[in-house]
Amino acid sequence: MEIAADDPTDLLEEALAGHGEGFVELRFHRRRSRSIAVEKGRVDQARISEHTGVGVRVLADGTWGFASTDRLALDTVRRAVERARQAARAAAPGKDERVPELPPVELARGRFESDGYAELLARPLEESLQTVIALEARARGASSAITSAACGYNEIFEEKGVVTSDGAKAWSRLVRPEFRIHAVAQKDGEIQTGMESVGVTGSWDCLFRQATPESLTEKAAQQAVDLLRAGYPEGGRKRVILSPSLVGLLTHEAIGHTVEADFVLAGSCAAGKLGTQVASELVTMCDSGQSEYYDGAGGTLYVDDEGVPTGRTVLIENGILRSYLHDRESAARFEVAPTGNARAWEYHDEPLIRMRNTYIVPGAATLEEMIADIEDGYLLDGPANGQADSNGEFMFGTREAYRIQNGKLGPLLRGVNISGTAFDVMRTVDAVGREFKWDLGSGYCGKGQPAKVDAGGPWLSCQVIVGGRSA
Amino acid sequence: MSARAGDGALEGFDARAEEERLLARVAELCENARRDGADEAEAYGERVETIAVHFEKNDLKLGQVDEGTSVGLRVFREGKQGFSSTNQCDAEALRGTARDALTVAGFSVPDPHNRLLEPRPLDAPPCRVDPALAAMSVPEAVQHGREFLRRALARDPRISIDKASFSVHRDTRAVCSSTGARAVESDASAMAVLFGMAVDGEDVGGFDYWGDGVRDPARLDAMLEESIEHFARSVLGNLGARSAETYRGPVLFAPPAFVDVFVDPLISAASAIAVQRDRSALRGKLGKAIAAAAISIADDPRDAELRGATGFDREGQPARRLTIVERGVLEHFLYNGYAARVDGCDSTGHASGGARAVPGLGPHAVVVAPGSDGDRDALVKALGRGLFIQRFSGTVDPASGDFSGVAKSARWVENGEVVRSLKETLISGNAFELLHRVVALSSESPRVMGSVRAPFAIVDGISVTAG
Repeated sequence: MEIAADDPTDLLEEALAGHGEGFVELRFHRRRSRSIAVEKGRVDQARISEHTGVGVRVLADGTWGFASTDRLALDTVRRAVERARQAARAAAPGKDERVPELPPVELARGRFESDGYAELLARPLEESLQTVIALEARARGASSAITSAACGYNEIFEEKGVVTSDGAKAWSRLVRPEFRIHAVAQKDGEIQTGMESVGVTGSWDCLFRQATPESLTEKAAQQAVDLLRAGYPEGGRKRVILSPSLVGLLTHEAIGHTVEADFVLAGSCAAGKLGTQVASELVTMCDSGQSEYYDGAGGTLYVDDEGVPTGRTVLIENGILRSYLHDRESAARFEVAPTGNARAWEYHDEPLIRMRNTYIVPGAATLEEMIADIEDGYLLDGPANGQADSNGEFMFGTREAYRIQNGKLGPLLRGVNISGTAFDVMRTVDAVGREFKWDLGSGYCGKGQPAKVDAGGPWLSCQVIVGGRSA
Repeated sequence: MSARAGDGALEGFDARAEEERLLARVAELCENARRDGADEAEAYGERVETIAVHFEKNDLKLGQVDEGTSVGLRVFREGKQGFSSTNQCDAEALRGTARDALTVAGFSVPDPHNRLLEPRPLDAPPCRVDPALAAMSVPEAVQHGREFLRRALARDPRISIDKASFSVHRDTRAVCSSTGARAVESDASAMAVLFGMAVDGEDVGGFDYWGDGVRDPARLDAMLEESIEHFARSVLGNLGARSAETYRGPVLFAPPAFVDVFVDPLISAASAIAVQRDRSALRGKLGKAIAAAAISIADDPRDAELRGATGFDREGQPARRLTIVERGVLEHFLYNGYAARVDGCDSTGHASGGARAVPGLGPHAVVVAPGSDGDRDALVKALGRGLFIQRFSGTVDPASGDFSGVAKSARWVENGEVVRSLKETLISGNAFELLHRVVALSSESPRVMGSVRAPFAIVDGISVTAG
């Protein structure tokens, strides 16, 4: 696709000329977002926001310095380089171990653009507003038990230019639209909520490829109403079938965070386990800047924020831990190639090791076979928030649960949080489904800074602790 | 209220000059909008200057200096609202921001309550910009940060710091509106955060974090020491974790867990917008008992020791102490301008948010009053046997109050004593129901991460599931 002529990398390259000693990395970032939020007929948010600047990292005296400027001009960028250098030198006396020389790597050069960028930029916000207003009203009208509804649509247009003193010169443009619908149902003093959300890297059609906005709306409303009548699952260690969205959460929270190399170096439970069996042989897990299986995964990234091209990293292969996730510094410490996982949320943030699209490779089972194999357990669906711990203990929320008894699916129950210890749970995987789905594209990962990520996989059967109601 | 920086990489901080510059920018933005056809316009600006030293894996990682200004413009035209924001503050960018906001208003939906509030007199700001803190340089910040890390690691050789930071923030915020609101204030604070765990051979304990902030440099050393002590006690105690027991009954909550499970959903439900839109469990409960009689909760933006202390809200209305719950009885809902127009009452000064979005609705600095049941140890004794949760990692539905999640930095209590660390322990229940079952509150209400005050609490009727 044709890219407009406001590529800033020539200017950044010029700013780098005669930059002085040491490694310098310049990252231009323009984020334009357009957001709409409607609740109970009222337009709460209809806004356009644009924030632009250049983040500068300098490696001086074996120490990183960071500064930023909100002006893209030669003099301001050069001044930011000097400020970052001063910050590095001021910090250097406090550093015990110098940053090692960054490993040579083929850095990205060129221009990259996601599908849908130009199309969504040209789509009038008014059209999206009318759609959101209609869908929110549709949710409220879905049942007399629905007392309130909210609907939101957000578009994030990202332009990034990365230029480094050792050869990166890349400009990329990505668009990430997101849609959310939320319904509240009430009866006899009980309140329950239903929610559906989708997010992709791509066009409007890509966003609603799996389900129309109308069907998502009806599903959220129905979920809120159905949960009014639903009971609570029993707590305890149970065999469960996780939906693709929950498999995404499992890969992200249980394994993904523990294999981020910065966390590994600090002593996470994945430290020292490369080459060892950490999961069932049925499990192969990857993190990728690309969107495998089909286009549009929400964490898609062509070039990371250090100028490293992104590819696919196999983390676990048939149960064996094969790799961690790296930026250039951690790759140097582990003496491996960087994996393209350095990401910064805004221009004034430093790049950190973050996931992109994380998933489990499909297996051979059908969902029906998996249900039939369970004597007493649950089928869980609908992702809520999650968190991982250094000792491998993870938790995440689910919005819906169905009891499985003697191979038969029972009625809907209210969602619960589930927990377990990462590799212990992965060793209990006894079936992996054959259908793949990206299903976490509206999610954000938090690690000091947000990051847009996606995750998914097939249906999967494993054993976890269900935080239900005890007697 | 002005100070000059020493040998830091940022220019010196002259609070008065920054306030004048920011106020001039937001005034220009308002004028642009009015000139271009807005019936009413409100501009909000925030300028942030930060010096930060980041640590990773027990060593210094990065020195950082940042400065930036963002402005957001809300306009009303024919009852329709538009909003736009930018961090580009040249004249052309400000004109473009006004055009964007008006374009959005042009196709939005009219609402009779879309009007700005009339300004009200403001009280003196609750916080003073300390010249010494505002003038801290990068080398000084590095020295404080380095000492912070050294002391944390010296506390016990088993402590491993995954991430830590020491930062100094110099902020200015301003509101200007076509109805005459003009408010500006500056703030300077130092913050410190520790995140990590304890490792003892093969035993990797669960992580925890703690952070705090001060505006008074005389309090800095004590704040750093208290943060280290809090963090160290927690992560060292996380070693040797074993399973708990499954039961339903009383659980002791440390202040951070009590806030996450009970106080936050209650405050969310006390939002007048949540009530107006039928998604609050507190609808129709003003003047009624919604919690045990021991519970009193206020929002106090005049508490200068809390991060959210401020003299005015996002709409330039005075920010004052508001009692939300008094002895278990719901006294007030929180209002911003829009919610106040809907109910035909005054705003309580709770418009929230920054420059990038339309004003929201939320508290500034929540304070849960202490009880009279003694200190933490007295509550451990009072619990006798059961779960003591210090951090909650889970989900609370703010509408229904249903919660479910993992008890982190959790301990098992036996015969009134903490006897071991726990793992794989989940709790669940309903926050609004269980607020009536608060059976003990500590006599102290410490600050939680510098932003709220809350006591230790024993709550009965919690479902505890052991792995």
